[in-house]
Amino acid sequence: MKKVSNANRFLYAFLIFIIIWCGFTFSPGIKEEQFLQEFTAGIVLSLIAAAFSYQHLSERGLYNLSPHRVWWFLKYIPVFIWAMIKANFDVAYRVLSPKRPIKPGIVRIRTDLKNPVGKLALANSITLTPGTMTMQIIDDKYYIHWIYVHSEDEKEAGDIIKGDFEKYLREVFE
Amino acid sequence: MKRVLAIIIAILLFVVFAMAFAKIPFGEQMSKYPHYYNPIENQTSNMSLPQHYLTYGKKDTGATNMVTAVVVDYRGFDTLGEVTVLFLASTGVGSLMYVENKAKKKVKRSNAVVETGSKLLFGFIILFGAYIFIHGHLTPGGGFPGGAIIASSFLLLYLAYPKFHAEHKRLNVSESLAGLTFVIVGLLGLAIAGYFLYNFLPFGLPTYLFSAGVIPVIYVAIGVKVGSELTGIVDAMMGVRE
Repeated sequence: MKKVSNANRFLYAFLIFIIIWCGFTFSPGIKEEQFLQEFTAGIVLSLIAAAFSYQHLSERGLYNLSPHRVWWFLKYIPVFIWAMIKANFDVAYRVLSPKRPIKPGIVRIRTDLKNPVGKLALANSITLTPGTMTMQIIDDKYYIHWIYVHSEDEKEAGDIIKGDFEKYLREVFE
Repeated sequence: MKRVLAIIIAILLFVVFAMAFAKIPFGEQMSKYPHYYNPIENQTSNMSLPQHYLTYGKKDTGATNMVTAVVVDYRGFDTLGEVTVLFLASTGVGSLMYVENKAKKKVKRSNAVVETGSKLLFGFIILFGAYIFIHGHLTPGGGFPGGAIIASSFLLLYLAYPKFHAEHKRLNVSESLAGLTFVIVGLLGLAIAGYFLYNFLPFGLPTYLFSAGVIPVIYVAIGVKVGSELTGIVDAMMGVRE
């Protein structure tokens, strides 16, 4: 991954913060003059917050906002929500079923994502789709607690657990 | 025996307090409260003190958040005292915990998820803390919660990265500057209007950000001060420094 300049990363942090600030302060009934005041304060505070945290926030700066990445991220959201709904019903079935179809265990899977934020997103996606929970990430290995171990094979289990997530996240973060 | 005695004392105390609380007129009309003595006009006012705050608070201070109006404007000395207490606490912790060369503790690295996540969240928490303390005169919150939120963002980094530490010199500088701002604003009030902490700036329109005179200025100072003080306390207590 190529290094980007500090100014670039700073600008990225500032942009993100000012957008968040507008989310904080804007409401439909607000007067224009009032919002202008809020926005002025927002610029100053975003600059300060960015000065503190631009080195932590991103490694790629403004390249995070390339249309390709944003587009794939938007496509990723409904996929993720759908997976979450499906998985929640799956867990409800496992809880309610009198046969108790659970076979818990810890499996190890691998990912080819390199970016730490990408890895975080994948880990959180796995955790938020119930039935699976990320316990530890070491380099490219994920240790996952599974409510029903369908497969102990690294590759096969990885395909089931990660689903489509990795494909989308690769486009977003790599 | 000891335990029985303790229980009896606790019950007695509870009864005494309950009887005292029963005398407080909750939920009654504020006009029934005793009226207060107004030293400026040298006469007893025609309303009770809480009623005065609610009726004239906005006109007197320009702030729409009445708690802020009372804490920073009507009773500014109280807040100055609180800030002093916090300053003393942080100085005390710093002097008790100070070691010339702290031995580096062997700390295991935390989870990769925690590390990346706290890095991402750090800036957002700072921004939110700033949002809280700059809107102290409009919305619930103010300098103390805002400062605590900012300190929590540093605590997050301290917990996620065993080697992280905020530079002590910078913390001290921001802390002292913020404290100075508070006192200087108070002294300016003394110079301009004859009262310490007098609200001498224009009030502006209510619910606008730039309103309520000196209250936002003081709350920004308190927010920065509390934030850096609590971070300093965390830093002193973590005890890991290179």
